[in-house]
Amino acid sequence: MILALLLAASVRIGIINSVTGPEAPIGETLSNGYKLALEDLKKAGIEVEVVSEDDTGKPQIALSALEKLVTRDNVTGIVGPYSSSSANPTVKAAEKNKVPILIPTAAKEELTRMNYKYVFRIASPANGLAAAGLDATLGLGPAKKLAVVYENTDFGTSTAKTAKEYAATHGLQLVADEAYSKGSPDYRSTLTQVKSADPDVVFMVSYVADAILLMRQARELALSPRAFIGGGAGFSQPQFVAERDISEGILASTHWTKDSGWPGAKEFAERYQKRFNVDPPYHSACAYESLRIMAECAAKSNNDRDKTRACLHEGKWDGIMGPVKFVDYDGFQNQNKHPVLVTQVQQGKVVTVYPKENAVAKPIYPFKWK
Amino acid sequence: MAVFLQSLLSGVLIGGVYALIGIGLTLIFGVMRVINFAQGELVMIGMYCTFFLFKLAGIDPFLSVVLTMPALFVVGAVLQRSLINRVLDALPQNQILLTIGLGLVLSNTAMLVFTSDYRILSTTYSSSSVGLGSIRLSTPLLYSFLITGAITAALYWFLARTDTGHAIRATAQDRDAAQLMGVNVRHMGVLAFGLGSALAGAAGALIAPIYYIYPQVGGAFTLKAFVVVVLGGMGSIVGATLGGVLIGMIESLSALYIASGMKELCVYVIFLLVLLLKPSGLLGKSRT
Repeated sequence: MILALLLAASVRIGIINSVTGPEAPIGETLSNGYKLALEDLKKAGIEVEVVSEDDTGKPQIALSALEKLVTRDNVTGIVGPYSSSSANPTVKAAEKNKVPILIPTAAKEELTRMNYKYVFRIASPANGLAAAGLDATLGLGPAKKLAVVYENTDFGTSTAKTAKEYAATHGLQLVADEAYSKGSPDYRSTLTQVKSADPDVVFMVSYVADAILLMRQARELALSPRAFIGGGAGFSQPQFVAERDISEGILASTHWTKDSGWPGAKEFAERYQKRFNVDPPYHSACAYESLRIMAECAAKSNNDRDKTRACLHEGKWDGIMGPVKFVDYDGFQNQNKHPVLVTQVQQGKVVTVYPKENAVAKPIYPFKWK
Repeated sequence: MAVFLQSLLSGVLIGGVYALIGIGLTLIFGVMRVINFAQGELVMIGMYCTFFLFKLAGIDPFLSVVLTMPALFVVGAVLQRSLINRVLDALPQNQILLTIGLGLVLSNTAMLVFTSDYRILSTTYSSSSVGLGSIRLSTPLLYSFLITGAITAALYWFLARTDTGHAIRATAQDRDAAQLMGVNVRHMGVLAFGLGSALAGAAGALIAPIYYIYPQVGGAFTLKAFVVVVLGGMGSIVGATLGGVLIGMIESLSALYIASGMKELCVYVIFLLVLLLKPSGLLGKSRT
């Protein structure tokens, strides 16, 4: 009897996500990931009591959500928030309150660079996204001139910055550096400027709507580098891929794909597709794996926060996100050294083309307009 | 040189569409002395109409202008009769509150009905272009510009050559005098608001294939239209046309020569300079 009670462990986990507000469409894909994780945890005998908080996309609300979860709800660990701007103040408060927090997707580098002990991140920081995309492209053929086009937000600027640093250390010449403010109907001047610099590689950071406008106008102007690479975000999303005239041959770096070959990734995608009638983006996979790992650790350590932290720090997992281990490297702490994948749109489908051990198709190079 | 010309022409083409929204706003202001802060939301309705006409009935976005214009005319006329008419003699701040409120109601209703998802309208010519020497002009943008030109020309003709057009202009010049001459000024108000809305609808149809569609898209266009109108001179239709094209050009060239993220800043700096040097706008007459 006592043994049975011990086996059916019950844990208390807090989740902070953007359920309403401008980030809601992506927040929903994380929520879906959490739902599937809860089902699987239940099957594994871990009863999770989830306290969900909505940050409405605002950092200050994310912060008060964390304080509520820590003091009033007395949770063992926290998963979330979704965006870099919400995660930024939240991790500081988590560290102060000595409660372990696991960040699923936010890419801002500083989050795991502040010598914190209770802050963990499963996805790759921004520099990984840029490096993987450029590594993959340089492996395909010689390139000398790089152009960077990005939206002037926290995410865009920090990802582009790492691309520029990469260029400086790898002998690439930066010929155009264009930050645009998003929401304009006309990027033609910006792209004309880029075209006149005649780059070999164009690296772009944009969300899906601007990604479509930029690529449409690039095609109009016949901007033809050897490769277009999207750094995360819009360039591998279904809405972008559906624009067949402009999406074919575009490379994009991402944290997860269904054909990555990681254990359970394909099954996860099938289950997700059946349940929510749409393909899962990387956000769902990151959310799923984060909650699973956090709940597992909390159950093992009997809802003790410090023991949960130790479990995260020492543990090792191998699931739909590939090998996960939180380590210290290159100035990061408790950061999963996540292998970033690069995809390409081929015949209207997103396929993984880099790195070699995950690739299912050969990349098409150089780029050519359809 | 090719880079300069390329940017300049793109700017002129996109400016044509700004002009169309501005003309609607200036027409309404001229006749009724009401600044319609819901003009952008009317553009948004035009965009959604075009999107669904294309998705559900397969009507080409540029052809759908002939449907969205009358539809938005009716919407505008109804709004004028039911709401705007009641505040014609009210304080300006009350009129502004009414139209801003109207805009909020429209965009939030759109969010309830259509959700906040971005929608993209793709046609076969979405990313094609016409070569002109070393310059390439976007096909959809070129179509938009030509249709804008045709609509503007038709509007000029209507206002300059027809009796109703004369009556609208008379009302704009002096409401009381026009009434004494036997012009039905209430009727002209409905007509002007309807026409202004129809122009917003046309602009929506022309922007839909070159931009993306979401419920809050209107705010940016209201602001732009307001700048276009004030720059050209409140109430002046020629001024709004000029103002629109000018702003398109400034945006385009400042993105080229200063920085892509700075183009809005450049527009507003030039706007402020014009207001400082010629407060009534480029073609405006000062009013007492």
